[in-house]
Amino acid sequence: MSMIDSVTELEALATGIAIVDDDNVITYSNTTFARRLNIDTLPRRLTDIALAEARSRDLLEWQLRDIGESALTIEIAPGRSLTLYIGARRDGQRLVIAAIGWPHRDESTLDLAAQLDPLTGFGNRLMYAERLREFEALGARYAAVLVIDLDHFKQVNDTLGHGAGDELLVLVAQRIRASTRGNDTLIRLGGDEFVILIPDEKRREGLEALARRLVDLLGRPFLVDGHQINIGASIGIATLLGDSAQLQDLLRHADLALYEAKHQGRAGHYVFQSHLEQRAFDRRDFEVDLRRALGLRQFTLHYQPQTSMREQRVIGFEALIRWEHPTRGRVSPLEFIPLAEELGEIASIGRWVIRQACQQAMTWGDERLSVAVNVSPAQFADDAIVDVVRDALAHSGLAPARLELEITEGLFLEESESIMRRLWAIQELGVAIAIDDFGTGYASLGYLNSFPFSKIKIDKSFIQAEPSPRAKALISGILAMGSNLGMATTAEGIETLEQYRQLEHEGCNLAQGYYIARPMPAEQIADFLGQFRLSAAQAS
Amino acid sequence: MPDTLYRLVYMSRNDISDEIEPQIGGILEISRENNRQAQITGALMFNSGCFAQVLEGPHHAIQATFERIQCDERHSDVTVLLFEPSDARVFSSWAMAYVGAQAAAEQRFGHLGRDSGFEFAALDGNEIFNVLRANLYDAEPGEGVSS
Repeated sequence: MSMIDSVTELEALATGIAIVDDDNVITYSNTTFARRLNIDTLPRRLTDIALAEARSRDLLEWQLRDIGESALTIEIAPGRSLTLYIGARRDGQRLVIAAIGWPHRDESTLDLAAQLDPLTGFGNRLMYAERLREFEALGARYAAVLVIDLDHFKQVNDTLGHGAGDELLVLVAQRIRASTRGNDTLIRLGGDEFVILIPDEKRREGLEALARRLVDLLGRPFLVDGHQINIGASIGIATLLGDSAQLQDLLRHADLALYEAKHQGRAGHYVFQSHLEQRAFDRRDFEVDLRRALGLRQFTLHYQPQTSMREQRVIGFEALIRWEHPTRGRVSPLEFIPLAEELGEIASIGRWVIRQACQQAMTWGDERLSVAVNVSPAQFADDAIVDVVRDALAHSGLAPARLELEITEGLFLEESESIMRRLWAIQELGVAIAIDDFGTGYASLGYLNSFPFSKIKIDKSFIQAEPSPRAKALISGILAMGSNLGMATTAEGIETLEQYRQLEHEGCNLAQGYYIARPMPAEQIADFLGQFRLSAAQAS
Repeated sequence: MPDTLYRLVYMSRNDISDEIEPQIGGILEISRENNRQAQITGALMFNSGCFAQVLEGPHHAIQATFERIQCDERHSDVTVLLFEPSDARVFSSWAMAYVGAQAAAEQRFGHLGRDSGFEFAALDGNEIFNVLRANLYDAEPGEGVSS
């Protein structure tokens, strides 16, 4: 079927239409075409059209070199822009449509235009779906999808503005175009996500070589708007010859592979393997379970005693969260707390922990016993933490001095006024703040000077280390520091009598660990306290 | 409105491993024609270790030229040393030259600088060009390592 069967109809259109041959010579144009371009006489070649911006001419030339579809928005007069939709080259000719603004999908001649992204000239989601339908109709046995996601693109938009961001996307698209072949379908899914749909057989090695090339190319500097810009790209790959069975799976699988590529440290690629899908399902199930856990009352608190070494008495308990899931069994906090932080569930879980700990501490029958609660840095992200603590105290009636929050050094990795303000606000409520896992973070010690922490809890890795002069020196150094700063020192994770005796000898104030007692359910606390008093009395 | 003049200075690793002479000759021919059309002046300096290039011209022309060069597989590890507006051109045309210490390479490529009108004087007394020259000498492998 010829493209110019109904010339008279084309002539009558308000849309500018031209047909060019392989050398970009204009073989047909309706009168609207020249009018849309704002010129009287068309040149012989489309590439010789006088355009206000030299850059537009470069882009036009560049896109006409490619045999695939593309689009290009150009400025034809100050403040007036025009979009050229360039059809794929078929049988030595291609259609070029000149339209002002975004054409409507229901005009049949403009179906192509609706499938194109005017910024980059790549196809959009519609074109991807269309191509997939074509592949399916042809019974395609080979196909591969590369999903390209730019790293640090958001920073470009944020710092240099969306104009620079758009210009960068155009250059990115050009580099992708330069690395691919004419029969690959290039798609911009939106934002900074691009897709290459490859129709022919290309084994894993070939696809990986292309991915490496793209990661390299997109990692090279860009010059935009007078600035040098460095971004990077991560790529996920899925192929019918690989672990994807269906055409419909390709994009989703490539996305899963992209997630893995990013997870492995960006600026790289990953080829989809079926275990990723299982893992994604597992992760989804785990997420759903975690989001429900609080509502289904699957969390409980266990309590591990902290004792005074000098006085041989229990001074309080650290509350430790337990998740008992009906089918998963007991899930470690090391596993679910990071996910809860990522999902934003940590706020509600953290609120529950503080409330529950305060309430249970009220039942211990000894007003001297403190309760320590772990608080994740994520909970300090906003002022809500102060209200959460205040509410828990008011709700339970617990004396503020009995509550202690344990925070980690990670909170001080970045100097933040707002975090210090929240700490002081909690301190003003009368609540103590201790440093947990001391010695394992990378924070500068300067923070110790900026706040009156109640305790330094020496991380168990120091306590459980093989005894050596160096290990001893580290511990006594930390103990001396605590004593000089007027902060109590707690040794965490004491497991043996030797460790206990040694720390007692060194002048450590408080002890916690299996040697004294494992964490226990709230119901066992009364019994434990009775037994401890008994054995302490017998020992002395 | 006259376009603001920009200057770009960058370096990259030379990945040409064989048939250096025809490839270098091809680069000279193609880029000279492209750059003349795009109102680009400047210089390409090379040795077996690296390329260093100075491009002067309107922003869009430098951008387009740089993009074309970026997609060339014959080099990698591209580092931009300078990209900023400039008052005047330092180079009056586009030229290339071998810059290095290898006598054999100087013999093979020395004529390029003379033929292409490379303005060695333009490199004198300008700090960025001194840096560039020092980097070029550092990046060149010892004589006999490459041929």
